[in-house]
Amino acid sequence: MKKTLSLLLASALSLSLLAGCGGAPQTPPAQSNNPPAGGSNTSQGGASTPETPKGPIKVAALASAYEETYPGMWKEVCEAFTAETGIEVELITDKALEDVIGPAMQGGDFPDVIHLATGRDKKLTEQFIKDKNIADITDVLSMTVPGESAKVSDKIVPGFTDTSITNPYGDGKTYLAPMFYSPCGLFYNAGLFAEKGWTVPTTWDEMWALGDKAKAEGIDLFTYPTTGYFDTFFPTLLYSAGGPEFFDKAMNYAEGVWDTAEAKQCFDVMSKLASYTAKVTPAQANDQDFTQNQQLILDNKALFIPNGTWLVSEMAEAPRKDGFQWGMCALPGGASGTSASYCWMEQAWIPAQAPNLDAAKQFVAFLYSDKAAEIFAKGGAAQPITGITDSMEGDNKIFYSIYDNGASAVMGGFAAYASVPGLGSVREVFFDPFNSLVNGSLTADQWVADIKAASDQMRANLLTE
Amino acid sequence: MRSPGRSRFIALCVAPATILFFIFMVMPTFNVFRMSLFERGAYSPTETFVGLNNFKVLFKDTKFITSMQNTILLIVTVTIITFFFAIVFAAILTREKIRGQNFFRIIFYIPNILSVVVIAGIFSAIYKPENGMLNSILSLFAGRDIMILWKDQPMVIVSVIIAMVWQAIGYYMVMYMASMSAVPVDLYESASLDGAGRLNQFFEITLPLIWTNIRTTLTFFIISTINMAFLFVKAMVAKGMADVGLSFMYAQKDEGLYGYAMAAGVIIFLFSFTLSAVVNHATKRETLQM
Repeated sequence: MKKTLSLLLASALSLSLLAGCGGAPQTPPAQSNNPPAGGSNTSQGGASTPETPKGPIKVAALASAYEETYPGMWKEVCEAFTAETGIEVELITDKALEDVIGPAMQGGDFPDVIHLATGRDKKLTEQFIKDKNIADITDVLSMTVPGESAKVSDKIVPGFTDTSITNPYGDGKTYLAPMFYSPCGLFYNAGLFAEKGWTVPTTWDEMWALGDKAKAEGIDLFTYPTTGYFDTFFPTLLYSAGGPEFFDKAMNYAEGVWDTAEAKQCFDVMSKLASYTAKVTPAQANDQDFTQNQQLILDNKALFIPNGTWLVSEMAEAPRKDGFQWGMCALPGGASGTSASYCWMEQAWIPAQAPNLDAAKQFVAFLYSDKAAEIFAKGGAAQPITGITDSMEGDNKIFYSIYDNGASAVMGGFAAYASVPGLGSVREVFFDPFNSLVNGSLTADQWVADIKAASDQMRANLLTE
Repeated sequence: MRSPGRSRFIALCVAPATILFFIFMVMPTFNVFRMSLFERGAYSPTETFVGLNNFKVLFKDTKFITSMQNTILLIVTVTIITFFFAIVFAAILTREKIRGQNFFRIIFYIPNILSVVVIAGIFSAIYKPENGMLNSILSLFAGRDIMILWKDQPMVIVSVIIAMVWQAIGYYMVMYMASMSAVPVDLYESASLDGAGRLNQFFEITLPLIWTNIRTTLTFFIISTINMAFLFVKAMVAKGMADVGLSFMYAQKDEGLYGYAMAAGVIIFLFSFTLSAVVNHATKRETLQM
């Protein structure tokens, strides 16, 4: 009796343990009528309305600061989409979206639409770009926005769908939809500038002069949250030094581009900037302490920090000096005299293996509807839709007007290249060493030499269609 | 003696653990070795066989070499410091009469139940350059403002070592306390009758009698340090400042080089295995019976 009982218990234990490994429910791939590869011609855009809605579709969206500002933002958009098209949506939002959808995708279970930008630590979107694992959504641009009469391409601000951010392979095909954008620039305490009677520098020479003046009062010129923020700063610097043509060359690691006078000017600015950087910065330039670097601005210990508009809400609760007021300026013009501000963009995209390609494309088109834009705006998110900045208020109105005040909008980033063992990422090669420039463990010459060597390999492995 | 029913029962009892171990430990380990010979992205369906190329590149990758150097530095220093303090504290708390023994035991043990993220938060406050705890205390004693950038070069590795030692001491201290209290008191009594001092007693009685325990924990500790070093570095300091072997591995995976990451994983796996074997062999002593 006893033996049978223990036998029973043992087998029950082993069964229940094994049952746990059943894995996630598999979505049968047969559900899709389309081959998973991009560029299928069966999904017609145009003015034709969808026939039979397929679904439910699975949407995975990063819960960023916008979702925090207005909780339920994505849920509301999905519900509006269902109300408009009848396609059910299963929504996944998370702050660490990669960790939630990553394992399932490795097991072959892909969401239909993913809203996740490039430039994140886990580089999930970059991996999909490198593997050419993203569906071509060029035809979405000519689709009609569900519930409206306008085409998607009529609504998106011109220029937003021709950069490497949305067309990573430079072949004129759009793979990633431009979603939320945010002007990036140098943030400072406008109150302090008014109090001291300083003006915001428009050239780098004025910048260094201001740096010396501030140093005399015990204020450092520059700080940065982490080296990752240079992925907006450095391209902008290149753009303002050499203009759009030089910028394109640099972003594609063109041969000899780092030996040009423009590039040299940029490297000089960077190494000089390193010497003007608050010395505590590298010690706090990690994911744990980066807000301490941002605090330096609020405490009047440093003048400028490169950042995006989200900085204001990120530091909303932080203590600050009396009379503090956020200011934001474009990068000073270089030799060409054009000041420039980087336009940071988040993307939404469809994995090539998405089971419901047609419905997913409709969802992406719907993201540009007035209804969706209105919901996103409640969270402070701005889409590149014509006329969206008119309805903004407060700090945001000032920040987003930076391009109206003469600064060129810089879009795009370093071109994607096939990963090669031992080569390292753009951030590792270009930006991470800035910490070492500040603390003096690396010379600027060595840094530039490393960039040149890595650049040759990156160029050789550029992704082209 | 044994009836077939009994051995069947034993086999059934052992089966769940064996099956689970096979599915979740043995198979993935073999998979790591297999995948290190291929090149593929984490999410891409295709893979290409590249033979031993990943390893060839790996041994020339200066980033990998630096991160392995950091790993070894952390293993050696953290192990020595932790074991020294854990044994000394354990000896003091078991052998000496100290007021509030239990209190100390709990205090030392607490770091062990905190998650690494919490520890990183605590040490972020301790290492803060301005008004941080450590710099404030140092300034107090020096009589002038001291501003050491703990999380910047060259102090960054020291900061990681301090945090790791702080975290690990309590657990091993409690382990040694348990084995030390199992040492019969009459051994100490007769030793003191023979005129052996406290220090002599510690080296001649305590240490030899808990040696088996030290050996086992040493192996545990070395293997866990490889993982803990990664967690601490990841949570505490900027990328590229003090990368260790596993952070290199994860960075490659994020880069889309799954096969290359697995090659690094294979090397770290072999490294930890060899190291444990070497340590196990080097610490072999004749076992003393109590």
